[in-house]
Amino acid sequence: MSTPVRVRVRMYQVGFGDCFLLSVEYDAPLADGRAERHLLVDFGSTRKAREGRAPGRMSDVAKLIRKHTGGALDVLVVTHRHKDHLFGFADDDAAEILRALAPKRVLRPWTEDPQLPVLADAPAVGGLAAEGGTGRASARYAQLLADAQREAEALSTLTGLHKEVRAEAAEQVKNADAIALLDELAADGRGRYLHAGADAAVGDVMPGLAVTVLGPPTVEQDPRVAKQREEDPEYWMAALHASLREAARTVPGDGQAAHGMSLGPGPVRWVVERLAAQKSHSVARLVRDLDDALNNTSLVLLLEIGGLSLLFPGDAQIENWQFTLDRLAEEPELKSRLTAIDLYKVGHHGSRNATPRALHALWADRPDELPPMTALMSTRQGVHGKTEATAVPRSTLVTALGQVATLHSTDDLDQGDEFLEVVSDANTGPFVRVGA
Amino acid sequence: MPDTVEFAERPDAPRSHITLRLIAQDPSVTGDDGRILTAQVKVPWSRIEDGPRGARLHVVDYDVAADEYRKHPALVNEDAYAAASDEVLLTDKTFNAQQVYGTAAKTLATFESALGRRLSWSFAGHHLYLVPHAFAEANAYYSWEDRAVLFGYVPAEDEDDPPVYTCLSYDIIVHETTHAILDGLRRRFLEPGLPDQAAFHEGFADIVALLSVFSMRPVVEQALGRPGKNGRITRMHVHPDRLKAGVLTSVAEQVGRVLTQGRGPLRHSAMQPPPANWASLPQFAEPHRRGEVLVAVVLDVLVDIWSARLETLFSRPGNAASATVDRARAAEEGAKAAAQLLTMLIRGLDYLPPVEFEFADLLDAVLLADVEVVPDDDLGYRRLLIERFAQAGITRPRNRVSNVLEAEVAPQYLGINHAALRSDRDEVFRFLWQNALRLDVPTRYHTTVESVLPSQRIGPDGLIVAESVATYVQMAEMTAAELETISELPLPDGLDPDTPVQLFGGGTLVFYQFGRLKLHVYKKVDDWRRQLRRIEYLDLSGRRDRAKRLGYSDGSARGQAFAELHDTNLSSGEAW
Repeated sequence: MSTPVRVRVRMYQVGFGDCFLLSVEYDAPLADGRAERHLLVDFGSTRKAREGRAPGRMSDVAKLIRKHTGGALDVLVVTHRHKDHLFGFADDDAAEILRALAPKRVLRPWTEDPQLPVLADAPAVGGLAAEGGTGRASARYAQLLADAQREAEALSTLTGLHKEVRAEAAEQVKNADAIALLDELAADGRGRYLHAGADAAVGDVMPGLAVTVLGPPTVEQDPRVAKQREEDPEYWMAALHASLREAARTVPGDGQAAHGMSLGPGPVRWVVERLAAQKSHSVARLVRDLDDALNNTSLVLLLEIGGLSLLFPGDAQIENWQFTLDRLAEEPELKSRLTAIDLYKVGHHGSRNATPRALHALWADRPDELPPMTALMSTRQGVHGKTEATAVPRSTLVTALGQVATLHSTDDLDQGDEFLEVVSDANTGPFVRVGA
Repeated sequence: MPDTVEFAERPDAPRSHITLRLIAQDPSVTGDDGRILTAQVKVPWSRIEDGPRGARLHVVDYDVAADEYRKHPALVNEDAYAAASDEVLLTDKTFNAQQVYGTAAKTLATFESALGRRLSWSFAGHHLYLVPHAFAEANAYYSWEDRAVLFGYVPAEDEDDPPVYTCLSYDIIVHETTHAILDGLRRRFLEPGLPDQAAFHEGFADIVALLSVFSMRPVVEQALGRPGKNGRITRMHVHPDRLKAGVLTSVAEQVGRVLTQGRGPLRHSAMQPPPANWASLPQFAEPHRRGEVLVAVVLDVLVDIWSARLETLFSRPGNAASATVDRARAAEEGAKAAAQLLTMLIRGLDYLPPVEFEFADLLDAVLLADVEVVPDDDLGYRRLLIERFAQAGITRPRNRVSNVLEAEVAPQYLGINHAALRSDRDEVFRFLWQNALRLDVPTRYHTTVESVLPSQRIGPDGLIVAESVATYVQMAEMTAAELETISELPLPDGLDPDTPVQLFGGGTLVFYQFGRLKLHVYKKVDDWRRQLRRIEYLDLSGRRDRAKRLGYSDGSARGQAFAELHDTNLSSGEAW
């Protein structure tokens, strides 16, 4: 029987986005004659890399992936449906290459399950919820999320809105082409739609790999993922959807006429003119809420192979993470597994809200006998955040990660570096950078 | 000339107050009859124009989502909604205007009567604009730049249903108005400060909202539960544990519940006493969570006061479980306790230092102010306050207040005009300059007198207690390395010595009516331990401005301070 001997992780330069390839090398050929297996986590970008770096075009990245996998992909993970994680599937040239790689399993979060809309209208009793999976509230939630995305699409072209707000809205739209390809790749039983605790069932295509799904929880598992109001978990998303719909419907006024009514020369005119700017502020907040909600549908995967463990949390934010953090107090075993990870894919491109402090605290207390930890961060500065506090990557987090791990960022790569590669013995760790 | 004095009053005749029917908490809270719970609220009146627009508040009903402006009629003493149906209350935008104007006016009046003077907004202007239907979003906030409190609404999913208006929630209006008033009183509390300072705005706004709602008898009656046929309830119904867990909580749970895109509802954690070691727990470094400590302490005090007031009302003395109490009377006592406690807390605000706020300062200020007005603590309110704060680990600070009248070295008044000392910033600065050594105010730092305000309260003998209150602020700018040298204390780990830092200090001077200094409440600019604590907190929480400096104002727009506080990711304490 073949056993894993080496694990390699490549982080591709994609500008602002995520694209990681996990490759496992075995000591002897497996049944199909290949002595390696490959798992791709995300394939997207919203912005090309900064000046002086490899541009990170998706079609070029796809060619690299083809080369690095030898033309066969075993598992494809798409953490969530944001453009910076799946845009490559909508690029014609790149999509053609990915299709040819023919992944044998496609892992996506439960919110992507094509069966969900059916469930939303199903009677309340029984169903998947009884099997510990997705119930009616979850289905409704996913439905509202998709509806909200449609409204964001309308907002992305609404005249009168601030340009930046329109651009943010555009990042929330559905990426229909990419999702269509993913649905195609997931057809014929290759797709798995995962929630916390679900069985990813990849052992047959990637021998020796154990996948623990830490998130996202379904609404039934943790109403907090839908935010607030336990008695009515969908209220928040319903309110968000209705607000976006309202915002998308009306044309913002120029604050001069207010439907033909004269405002007079007094203070009302001043207030109305100032408030006209609030339209963009308000829509920006709503769009950000939708962005958070989509981030929280991210798969949070703990991958274990040989003696190594790797954490890939997508862009999961606190509402998603909270479900796992709450388990730590009662599950010391899970706690020590998370403490001892060898590689951390930095959540949400290093933004302030995706690496819980409680998680970082575990690493700060790592026993000395563990091999050093590696953190991989795919990001690009100057894209998100106007203030120091909201800048991505967040400087306080970068500093803190540097204290517990060897941190590599795509933003630090040179012109010639199309990717960054780390490799480790499958049993001992640590990961070390190749060619550095 | 009429030959008699006409006493019959026209509805629009000038008055001091008018009585308006307002939704007492939130449209989802109903009374015994199943209808929306409302209360008749006495609202201070000034000449009111259409808008409505009075001396200090101006309702501007402009909806940015729909680009619609509505001018509503002025409020008169004949309330058009006195008998209106629930449907009208929920959908009539003119009633919405009445609800925001009435509630905000009442809130401002509560502060003004406790502090004994008119209160200014922190922006240049006399009108705070109230925008009842600002945008389609479940959010409401005070926007300094717009001189306004903006209330959003949630469109219904079914487009034929009416929206949910945040401006119909009494508690939300009070909360946001309190932000505006507090900003007017202590504008530097929005500067980057100690963790308690960021927590204070939220915590205090929640406290004022809760106590205001709770000072309305109908709300308390409903929360107490249904009475027996004779209108009485048993001792069990008003047991302190139940008052806390059942009654107060049921009110608090409704607070802010329609806000989903903004700050969200008051959380359960606000009702629980914090763990003993809260101050050292990282999640309590987060302002929202930290502010809940204050809320929890005040709720405990409220239950204490209320319970004490109920004792004499039971049908039988002792602890007999079968003893009963009239529900209306019990509710009345709760409402009174809430109103008294609220007044007591607000009175303390004048005695707060103008910068570098910490929770202990609130305790101290409230006690100092209370002693002025109620020298004998016969009801034991001050004792309760001290006990409950102590249980949360907050004790009276040392060396932050000088009782100047009893000081060994009295201030020097030579060349000081006492009358001017009550109103003139330059005269107060001159006084400070003359007495810098006596008051231990270092003159090497930039020093500004920021306000000189009169204050009048009614004392226990029914006579007026007249004071004037001045605040001064000191500022120092240096690098972290210079701070290390001057303080002879180590810098926080990992702080770049070249980081520019701005430090604050200052104090509040309380003069009694003849212009003599009575109290000096201060936060010394050269209290280096505190300064390093602040710098460490600002560094750890990443509150730097765009030039990476520490302690300077954030660089983000002033009004955004509130939007920031309202982020759920941040309020979890897990963010960076």
